[in-house]
Amino acid sequence: MSRTLFQSLRCLIALALALMPTVALAHSENGVAIDFKGGFSHPIFGPDHVIAMVAVGLWGAFLGMPAIWLLPVVFPLVMAFAGALGVLGVPLPGVEIGIALSAIALGSMVALAARPPLWVAALLVGAFAVFHGHAHGTELPIGADAVAFSMGFVVATGMLHLAGISFGALSRWPAGRIAVRAAGCIIAVIGLVYLYNSL
Amino acid sequence: MKELFRGTLFACLLMLSSPAWAHAPIMGIGGVLGGALHALLIPEHGMSLVALGVFLGRQQPVARRWEALAFIAALTGGLVVIALIGEAALAADFLLVATAILGLLIAVNWAPPFLGWPLAVIIGGALALDSPPEVSSTAEVIRMLIGSGLGAAVAVALLAEAAGWFRANGALIVMRVLGSWIAAIAILVLSLRIATRMATG
Repeated sequence: MSRTLFQSLRCLIALALALMPTVALAHSENGVAIDFKGGFSHPIFGPDHVIAMVAVGLWGAFLGMPAIWLLPVVFPLVMAFAGALGVLGVPLPGVEIGIALSAIALGSMVALAARPPLWVAALLVGAFAVFHGHAHGTELPIGADAVAFSMGFVVATGMLHLAGISFGALSRWPAGRIAVRAAGCIIAVIGLVYLYNSL
Repeated sequence: MKELFRGTLFACLLMLSSPAWAHAPIMGIGGVLGGALHALLIPEHGMSLVALGVFLGRQQPVARRWEALAFIAALTGGLVVIALIGEAALAADFLLVATAILGLLIAVNWAPPFLGWPLAVIIGGALALDSPPEVSSTAEVIRMLIGSGLGAAVAVALLAEAAGWFRANGALIVMRVLGSWIAAIAILVLSLRIATRMATG
């Protein structure tokens, strides 16, 4: 993994931390104060989302440049579009199954050290982001402090990717590579549990 | 390395979020300074200025400066209009749509000048029309609007030059990730606003 990449990672972490406001009081359109903290905690307190987003980072780090930053760029963009559909009430069948499958597929990719072409990886990540985005969108509170909430939500998603990338960076060393693949295996197994529960 | 950190520090300082006071004047600070702070501290305005600045920074210097001038012209026109009419519906929505498009373009690393012109004009006009000063005195309104215009224009000019300065691979990656976050935030905010309007009639 290149030196540039580590510099970029450090910069992104600094940027994400700087984006965290202390208090968000306004733009509450009907008096419901759901702020940055609410948005930030929204993806973090959903373990099924957490493992998939970490898996995206892990897989990106495993694939190296340019997947390491391309996958975490694709995920929030597609997630936001799907989230908008969820907010606006557009139905999507099999969301929970899709989320469980995302953990299984992405975890398996890491566990098996799969190296498909970049466009396949991006397509796969984008396809699964649809389910995550839609699930978040349907749960987003109408009348929330939209700007602060969305900022928190997107920054938290980015931080989860960064967590995955940071752990995935261990794959530079032989022992770290085993640890990263083991983490992928664990994510896939957790995904199987979610799939069993959702069926 | 130093260049990348300088760039990140610059971006962090510009994007430091503070409490959002909606469109009320900042307590205790009025006049030109209050207007300038208003332009910079409203999160969606700040986000739009960052997106436009980064986008313009990806252009060639001549195109960048002409597009910045187009932004300033639209901003000035919008500020005159908002001073006369007092309120403009849907300006915030146009601002978010243009910001989302800019974020997407930054994320895909595509900055064609033919899109820069209209987007700079839309951002300038919508940002001005979404900045109605909520004060009663005409003199204070004029001072605040001048401050808003100066704050936004200086911010975009500085950001565009800074973004143009950082052309290293690492800086480009940071900008593309930032662009994807800006686009995602703008899309979510817009959808939440539309859903809230639909729910509340």
